[in-house]
Amino acid sequence: MANDEPPSPEAQPTTPVRERRTNPSAASLFRSTLTPPGSRSGSPAPMGSPARSLTGSVFGSGGFKQSLLDTAAAENPGDPLNLVLKSFVPHIAIHDSEDVEHLVKEKGFKGGLFELLRPFGERVQGRVTIRDSNGASRTWDDFSVRFTRFGEAVEDPDTLPDPRSLRGPPPNGQPQYNMPRKKTSLVQQVEQVVEKHLGFAEEASMGAATPTTPTRQGLDTDTTSPYYALYLRRLLSGIPMASHETFSHPVACVIAISSRHPAPIEALRQLYSETTPAEQRIPPWVDGDFLRYYVLVHDEERSDITKSMQLFDQMKRHFGLHCHLLRIRSSQAAETDDDSIPLPRSDWMSASEELADIERSEQLQDSFDDDPHLFNRYIFESDATAIRTFIREMVIQSIIPTMERNVSLWNDQVASRRRGISGRFMSLSKRFTVFGSSSSSSRSSTSSSNNGFETLGYYRPDTPEAIMRRLADFAFMLRDWKLAMSTYDLLRTDFQNDKAWKYHASANEMAALSLLIMPQTMSSKNRVEIINPMVEQALYSYHTRCSSLYGAVRSTLLSLDLLRLRGGIGIDESVRWGTRLLEMRLLGPVGDALLRERLAVCYASKRGTGSQLWGSRRRKSAMWSVLAAQAWVSMGKYLQAQKCLADARRMYSLLPSEWGVQGFNGASECLAGLNEAVREGLRVTREEGEGEEGLGLGLQFDESSNLTIRPKADDQTTASTDHNNAQTEVDVDVDVEQSGFNGQSSQLPSRPPQIPTPTASSKSPTPETTRGGDEQPEGFEDATPTSGPSSGHSPTRPRKASMAVRTSRVLSSADLEPAAPLPPLIPARLASTSGRDENKSKDGKDGGFG
Amino acid sequence: MSYYFAIIGTQDNPLFEYEFGTSKQGGDGMARFTEQARQLNQFIIHSSLDIVEEVQWTNGQMYLKLVDRFFTSYISCFLTASNIKFLLLHQPPSSSSSSSALPHPSSSASASTPSLISSSHHHPPSSTSVIPSLSTLTGGSNSSTSTLTGGTSRTSTSIAANPTSPQTEEAIRNFFAEVYENYVKAIMSPFYRTNMEIRSPVFRARVAAAGRKYL
Repeated sequence: MANDEPPSPEAQPTTPVRERRTNPSAASLFRSTLTPPGSRSGSPAPMGSPARSLTGSVFGSGGFKQSLLDTAAAENPGDPLNLVLKSFVPHIAIHDSEDVEHLVKEKGFKGGLFELLRPFGERVQGRVTIRDSNGASRTWDDFSVRFTRFGEAVEDPDTLPDPRSLRGPPPNGQPQYNMPRKKTSLVQQVEQVVEKHLGFAEEASMGAATPTTPTRQGLDTDTTSPYYALYLRRLLSGIPMASHETFSHPVACVIAISSRHPAPIEALRQLYSETTPAEQRIPPWVDGDFLRYYVLVHDEERSDITKSMQLFDQMKRHFGLHCHLLRIRSSQAAETDDDSIPLPRSDWMSASEELADIERSEQLQDSFDDDPHLFNRYIFESDATAIRTFIREMVIQSIIPTMERNVSLWNDQVASRRRGISGRFMSLSKRFTVFGSSSSSSRSSTSSSNNGFETLGYYRPDTPEAIMRRLADFAFMLRDWKLAMSTYDLLRTDFQNDKAWKYHASANEMAALSLLIMPQTMSSKNRVEIINPMVEQALYSYHTRCSSLYGAVRSTLLSLDLLRLRGGIGIDESVRWGTRLLEMRLLGPVGDALLRERLAVCYASKRGTGSQLWGSRRRKSAMWSVLAAQAWVSMGKYLQAQKCLADARRMYSLLPSEWGVQGFNGASECLAGLNEAVREGLRVTREEGEGEEGLGLGLQFDESSNLTIRPKADDQTTASTDHNNAQTEVDVDVDVEQSGFNGQSSQLPSRPPQIPTPTASSKSPTPETTRGGDEQPEGFEDATPTSGPSSGHSPTRPRKASMAVRTSRVLSSADLEPAAPLPPLIPARLASTSGRDENKSKDGKDGGFG
Repeated sequence: MSYYFAIIGTQDNPLFEYEFGTSKQGGDGMARFTEQARQLNQFIIHSSLDIVEEVQWTNGQMYLKLVDRFFTSYISCFLTASNIKFLLLHQPPSSSSSSSALPHPSSSASASTPSLISSSHHHPPSSTSVIPSLSTLTGGSNSSTSTLTGGTSRTSTSIAANPTSPQTEEAIRNFFAEVYENYVKAIMSPFYRTNMEIRSPVFRARVAAAGRKYL
């Protein structure tokens, strides 16, 4: 919707908090992360049952036998597998005439027909039956298509595999296709979007009576963290129209005119000729021979239906069967109308679009010129039905048959020739020009000049390589994984021989993905051994050879998540890729923290066997949660950090041992420091919010006094929690209780003062709970890590209580040193205005080593 | 090369912890861990118990060799009877392994793993500065240690250079064997109960001696 606005990557200074909080239209912008992904009402995707039956057994045989699509993860919106299925879908370009744009604008859609159709493409109504290359048909419930504007989102020339490619096409005066005017890379934009969402959640949480962010699905491995899902979705939604993969190349083009046009047939011809490659509106590596679908948009309110029917018949005579008459009303639907339904925002808008939207809403709030129709739009029920029917008809009757036909045609003519004996021989002779015979060398030279990669830097669309690539991509989009896999596999060697590295990387990536999705009778170990080199090659080619950040990140993240779903040995592999990605530092800070969270989820999804759950990775998972919390704290995203810490605590409490990591002095100090940093950070942001309303001073006193009172009631052994004692204490005392693992005997008496504190802290603000804003601190108090374990699901277990005691004990050492209740607040507050990082350093020091 | 040796009890509780550095090739036997790295080491050791619990069923040996790896930290394991585990974390020497280990493990990893240095040139350099790692925030103590390490960076020995080599494996086996012998003697004390921390100074001295001798 915002494509006409140049996305400016510089974030505006954030608007005052109060306005933002009270603005519902801004909240709708962040809908995708404010609610858990499964419960989004606006999403046209079906809600999948989160029950997952895939259990990767640990000691060997994994769940590699079935196709991943048979698992529930495929239907769970937000799950990476579902995202993969929903993102590599046929792209349909929309090319409409001026009068259609005008008509749709009257309906309130400034972006034209594209904007109106896009949300409906995310879910094609009804079931879609697709025949694969063997003639077996399978029915899908959740088929989707993606609408794009014709000739947009072409990949930047500077990320092309070869700069020569731009000089390739002869009349290259000015390329007519629109280059996206972006200064930052796609990955950076994705980071920015997710950062905005996080920031919104952080700010929205302080004023609202109930926390708006879900307290997270725990380390429930079935649901994806909304931010990670958003990250992946934005990463996948803006697949640029690149030369090395054809997913975003148009499979079809919708050519639309309206019934208002004076010379409709001529207009259609004109529009058609604009979509031909001769017009240079699409880059030369895109095959211009895609399906054209002609649409007559009939204005129900102002035009005559009989005339339109006549015109439609005429269209069918001229252009064949790929025509549709779309009847919609031209007036704008208001919320109050009887038959109006809200039109959901597209889930698959690109990162730059969403950034532009968010910035626009921020500017709107600055100017107090709030347009309710900007982000919450409505459409007549009848229009929605018409559009759904149109899309279904187009997809089922035109697009899928065309794709199936193309697949079988290309498979017969090009791919199977390569698969046969002679094809292998051809490729062999191509490879070994060392034989020196003139015939083979001439053949190799002709074949390499044939495909034109050497000179152009890309494969022309009519070369066998490009056709096979399209075949493989079509097969992938039609979910014929086997054909896709075998074709990608052929292409891998071809591209490697041609040293077309970006093509090579992409073919490897997709081969790995399709191999991961499809069912196979291979043992999991073999399979991993095949998949790993593919991912490796993809990563290496993308990153080192082509320095394509986007490709490297995408291929690794997707393989990582699909490997995770495979369970068993695949989980270790997926974490290996994750750490690899972290090692290479390809991601920005947000992505880095999200990936750490994800690795925790990966490890958590490994199931153990036996009563002790041997082979599970709960400790690892908890450690990654801690690392993620650290990353979030360093970014000042305390809500997320809090969630991660809670996850870690949950994981540790699930361990068969009594102590979690708390037996280790340094580790528990680190945890306590993080807890303190989070608590401090949340308090500071809360105070900021309350300070604006001129309240909250009393509350802050309450809290801080609570904090300092509590340690005094505690035992006095805080001095001995020194990290050095491992090296300095060499006496053989009997005071085992004092410093470590066996201290339960001395800490048990200290538990009673601990338990009353939550009630005390929740009581203290009660005189003020009549105000809505003050209930929030209580909610946090419950969720804060210190009281977390004791308010967990089974509060009676002794080790949780002891964990809480221990944490508070170290906390006390952090809090006692400043001695006065107020001092720890003041620097934190100052730091929050200047920059949160210094605040954290203070916290880290105090909490960590105090 | 810096080492962190821990004896882990049945409840994931450390019974004995000892940090030391290499004494080969003129090493002074001091560990080069920062505070942050110390804390992280404990997390790493603790988390690799997961792997140990899995590997212990695949192997009849007490010495499980290298079981786990976390960026540049390698963990070797030795199982004793009664489910007490010896874990040794070893970190190959590098200028940055001690300076910034905890909050952003990738920072130390990308800088210290030689094979990754070439690939890391392509990264947007901004990511380094954007992530304020806790270790850089802790200020003075940190920088002083890093300069200290930089001054005394040693030539790599065969053991220190590659932690996966057979020589390293053998050296660690010897170390574990000697520690095990002393451990058995230490827990034969009539005052020792299971899962009690080992506080004997004699034992600590002997572990130090074994470390000097083999690592």
